[in-house]
Amino acid sequence: MSPGLRRLYVPRPVGVEVDSDGRPTSIDGVAVEAVREEWLAEDRWWTPHPLGRHYFELVLADGRNVVVFRGIVSRRWYRQRG
Amino acid sequence: MEVACVLIPELALADPVEAGELTERLLCRLERIGAAVESERAGEAFFVLDGLRGIHGGESAGVLAAARRAAEMEVRIGVGTTRLSAHAAAQREAIVPSSAAGDFLAALPVSTLAGRLELSPREAGSLIETMRRLGIERLGALAALPADRVADRFGPAGLRALRLARGEDSLLRPRRPHEELAEEVELPEGAAGGQLEHALKLLVARLLAAPQRKGRTVLGLRLGAVLCGGGSWSVDQGLGRPAASARTLLAVLAPRLETLPGPVAALRLRALGLGPPVGDQLELSVRGEEHRRRRLGEAIREVRAAQGTDSLLRVLPLDSASRFPERWAILTPSPDR
Repeated sequence: MSPGLRRLYVPRPVGVEVDSDGRPTSIDGVAVEAVREEWLAEDRWWTPHPLGRHYFELVLADGRNVVVFRGIVSRRWYRQRG
Repeated sequence: MEVACVLIPELALADPVEAGELTERLLCRLERIGAAVESERAGEAFFVLDGLRGIHGGESAGVLAAARRAAEMEVRIGVGTTRLSAHAAAQREAIVPSSAAGDFLAALPVSTLAGRLELSPREAGSLIETMRRLGIERLGALAALPADRVADRFGPAGLRALRLARGEDSLLRPRRPHEELAEEVELPEGAAGGQLEHALKLLVARLLAAPQRKGRTVLGLRLGAVLCGGGSWSVDQGLGRPAASARTLLAVLAPRLETLPGPVAALRLRALGLGPPVGDQLELSVRGEEHRRRRLGEAIREVRAAQGTDSLLRVLPLDSASRFPERWAILTPSPDR
């Protein structure tokens, strides 16, 4: 990226605990009240570096509404605004 | 009058867009030593030496040494009494004193006139070929002919050639020196279509935000591209009147993207001239939205003055339909208005 430019809504690593089905049960230690929605997003599947994410829109016990995803390749969890 | 000619070797000018970039760099660098440069084609620059000697040691050699240092690239430099003789001298890296100017010109082949006749290459080639067939091989032979006979046989172009052969030339028309204002963005994976429009928006935003613009308006633009398949492309776009609004620049540049011959690896935008600052322009009416924009521009300038040039950024939409939020928008330096 050129100097002076900055991306918005960059994913940030987050601590997630999951149940046996792989669905989040807590985010950074805060319990998940409800999963509002979940979806898959994939791109560049035709390249050596495909992009795949399993997104969850969650309502937490403290009332916050957050979006997290797990990288399908990296298996790591991230939080993302937007 | 002594005219210096600075030439970039032809090998470096193979690519037309690179040639334009290289020439622009050369002109800017020569202007830094005080030269008032004229350049009507890529790869060459002319300037009058007379006024520069006092700055660079009193001798022409001092001016030429300064020009060579300033160029920071391989160049050929020559001096003559006209553009034609200076150009020929530069090809030989020669300095032709006024006393020898007549002999120097007389010995040059008529083909030297090719690029100086304000004719298309084909027309110029045809004129020169006709001269040769008639036995006029050197400029000296042409200069010796009576003007009326030249006019009868070759018309206005012949008379122009005769004046050049006799060492007559118009005064140089140097451009107004300006700071280089250019931006480039590299594009991954050969961009085309909507991606190009976003890249163009980004370039315009960066060009308008460049500190060296100092609030001045833009008079013309050169949009260029490095093509994925090799080669390059560029187009000059006049604006009709000075402008410093991203919307105006985008409105005239966006249709030009449709003429791109293929996928693009990099897009470039250069200001070809800078006009008066926005506030100095006359206008017929100020609409409400324009008034609001102007006040916003003033506020931006105040914040920048207090907090630094990087303190304000603008959200530039990129791909709002993407399923990956980090592709929706980026933050770019904010233009003044």
